[in-house]
Amino acid sequence: MVPMVKAVPVAEEDLLRARFYGLLAALLASPPDTEMLSRLRQLEGDDSPMGEALTRLSQAAADASHEQVVEEWNALFIGVTRGEVLPYASYYLTGFLNEKPLAVLREDMAQLGIARREGVPESEDHIVSLLEMMRGMIEGSFGEPFDLGCQKTFFEKHLKPWAGRFFADLETAGEAKLYRPVGAVGRLLMQIEGEAFEMM
Amino acid sequence: MNKDNEAKVMDRRAFLRGIGLGAGTAGAAAVALSAGPAAAAQADTRESSGYRETDHVRAVYAAARF
Repeated sequence: MVPMVKAVPVAEEDLLRARFYGLLAALLASPPDTEMLSRLRQLEGDDSPMGEALTRLSQAAADASHEQVVEEWNALFIGVTRGEVLPYASYYLTGFLNEKPLAVLREDMAQLGIARREGVPESEDHIVSLLEMMRGMIEGSFGEPFDLGCQKTFFEKHLKPWAGRFFADLETAGEAKLYRPVGAVGRLLMQIEGEAFEMM
Repeated sequence: MNKDNEAKVMDRRAFLRGIGLGAGTAGAAAVALSAGPAAAAQADTRESSGYRETDHVRAVYAAARF
């Protein structure tokens, strides 16, 4: 049997993908601190759809204070009883939390050897968890990088059916300011990833 | 990998680097954004998004990453 070549570094476009996933995960997991906000302000986009979304993100970051984005993040994701958006696969696919899509995801995670950290309250089908899993698969945080076929299967099964709708909802959420362009970046990433996987 | 597959891989790469995720200077900026000091933000993300490797399947990873 021919041994698999493992020394190949992660390709440039895959690093880009991983960083977009990482950026979105970081922004959705918690409100950006002042340092992150100042880095967001430095973004410059071209006139492509993603470039324009990044430019809007940069402008929104320039208009926002840390206190404002903490308030906005809380209104969107925590709320008094619940946040304005519920970023869970199960909710988007069935209308309820903790339904079959979560069970299916848990089975796939077990097969892939990925497990939730102990003490984390959010279920595995939370958008941040799925984005972080994609990032980890691309970069090789779970041992070796996962091959593209495996990434494609995971993406098409667990993100493609709903994540685009979630990001579109975030884009139009009443409480969203900084998170509108974040939603746009996410929606475009899901679209681009979907199209790129179709090319395989 | 046959020639057809190679062409497809190149198409995909060109697409992602170009009209997809390149986004001109933004692409480079996005790289810079999460490549450097954003490591801290990513560490936070890991805490809150919460996953880890299971010991029995993929035991080999840099512990420092988590």
